[in-house]
Amino acid sequence: MFTEVQGPTTTAAAAVVVGPAGPRARRRPRSAWLPYLYILPAVALLLVWTYWPLVQTAGLSLQDWNLIPTKPKTFVGVEKYQKVLSLPELHQALANTVAYILAFLGISVALPVLFALLSRRVQGRARTFYQALIFVPFLVTPVATSAVWRWLFAPESGTIPAIATTLGTPMGNIFRDPDSSMLSIVVIVGWQMLGFGVLVVSAGLAGISPDYSAAASIDGASQRQITWRIVLPLLSPSLVFLALMTILLSAQWTYPIIDLVTQGGPGNSSTNIYYLLYQFGFRNFDAGLSSAAGMLFFAGFGIVAVIFVELSEKLSFHDN
Amino acid sequence: MAFILTSPPAPTSPPAELTRAADDAVTSSPRRAASRARSRALASLPAHVLLAILALVSVYPIYWMFVTAFRPTAEALSTNPLPGPVSLENFLQVWQQIPIGSMLASTLGMALVLAGAQLLVAVLASYGFARWSFRGKKALYLLFVGSWLVPFQVTMIPNYLLVSQLGLLNTVAGVVLPQLCSAFAVMMLRQHLESFPRELLDAAQMDGRSSWLTLWQVVVPNLRPALAALAIMLFISAWNEYLWPSLIMQKSTALIQVGIRAFLGAEGNNWGAIMAASSIACLPIFLIYIFLQRYVVDAFVRSGLK
Repeated sequence: MFTEVQGPTTTAAAAVVVGPAGPRARRRPRSAWLPYLYILPAVALLLVWTYWPLVQTAGLSLQDWNLIPTKPKTFVGVEKYQKVLSLPELHQALANTVAYILAFLGISVALPVLFALLSRRVQGRARTFYQALIFVPFLVTPVATSAVWRWLFAPESGTIPAIATTLGTPMGNIFRDPDSSMLSIVVIVGWQMLGFGVLVVSAGLAGISPDYSAAASIDGASQRQITWRIVLPLLSPSLVFLALMTILLSAQWTYPIIDLVTQGGPGNSSTNIYYLLYQFGFRNFDAGLSSAAGMLFFAGFGIVAVIFVELSEKLSFHDN
Repeated sequence: MAFILTSPPAPTSPPAELTRAADDAVTSSPRRAASRARSRALASLPAHVLLAILALVSVYPIYWMFVTAFRPTAEALSTNPLPGPVSLENFLQVWQQIPIGSMLASTLGMALVLAGAQLLVAVLASYGFARWSFRGKKALYLLFVGSWLVPFQVTMIPNYLLVSQLGLLNTVAGVVLPQLCSAFAVMMLRQHLESFPRELLDAAQMDGRSSWLTLWQVVVPNLRPALAALAIMLFISAWNEYLWPSLIMQKSTALIQVGIRAFLGAEGNNWGAIMAASSIACLPIFLIYIFLQRYVVDAFVRSGLK
């Protein structure tokens, strides 16, 4: 599945490239095996490192095994699935994952739309300059990100607690408090993703021809009407792209920071489903449990993705 | 990994500002046009303020990292937001405690090899897909598209076992091998190749060039900007990759991600040294960004790779 978010004029551009000859007829190769030879390395790697492991994970999910090669694997049927579904850790991790997704829908979709719309007036060099700065956090490597934020939040002489104390609301160690540990992860990952969202939305806005808004304003449409009825619908492909990415990848984005900053704690308060998989597999050495949970998440995200792609086909507006 | 591509938005018509300015020039006196320009500049002031705040929030933690790193060790806990006298003590401490030089070198090597190999595999595959039609093409392509639905965490146990059977645990090769095929790169390049002028390929064929020579003498040279952007992005992703190295390199600190993680754990609250190590870990990426900023932003915004 793979959603293309197209700038409005790409079809026209493609038509130019195709030229008067019309749609290009794709050749049959001279020797039948030639194309397979070109795609062989990629396909082989994909099979060895993605699809065959997926099958193995499905197999492991039906077995009891502690990851030690010399120890036997025992077939236990769906027992691991039953067990994982009844674990309170899983429920907590699922609830946390949903909370993370909602938070990031705000930070990497809604806020960027607001920022991008409000900052449309800034053009030219100033705009490039701001955007260059806003994008930097996205490039900071996870170990450095977590180190810097631990320092900023450090209870002793950290910048943020110092500011909080001056404002009269002293704060403790944000990472050690079960009520705030998740917030700390949201702040850190949100800092990284906000700029990315702003740039994607700005690129989407730049792709919308200003003619539509100009025409509407000649017809007497107000600024608010133009934004809601014209700009946002035309922006919907970019928004669908960002929202789908946020839903599918929030758990990936947060994983390194969770591992580096809170290890899911205290008491699983900041964990997410992928971190739970890691703990089942590489902390508790329960391959079956980790695999069973993994298969469930795989199925769950698959369904979400399919629904989303269907929805986006229906909801997206295109101007061609 | 997600591979959702956004095609570059092509500008359709002159920006509104220009058209409006042209209208102004025709309909009104120069004086009125000038006062309008001034009021427009004033109207953009709130937008400037907003963007400036956003930029400050984005950059301040990084600024603070460097400021703390360059402070004398005695003043490491200073909360003064302005940089004071510059000192290299913290860097010296990092240099003495961990083999940061060799970590940088092996991470650089890993990222270069990985990005290069991913690019090569992707060039071959996308060329195969874009140039010919063949039996099973759709199904095979679906393998690439579908792979982003398989989160890495779901396949990590079998992958870990395979790497361990190959005897590659705690080696850089074990980090590189499972990631050699970037489905994202294949799809992005295929998109570029789909719009590659057919006439050039046909001409090359008429000249008697084999498909292999055509790829290297005709396609690759013409695709250079796209390949460069993709290569930079793959390099940055490889450098910043955390999950797989952290699993495979549990007993090794050869790569910067795991090496600095161990250092952070050992140093606790020695913020000066920690910030120095962190700034070193980011430095190569920042250098790339400073010199190739436009490429980097374009490549990442057009993709969804993470």
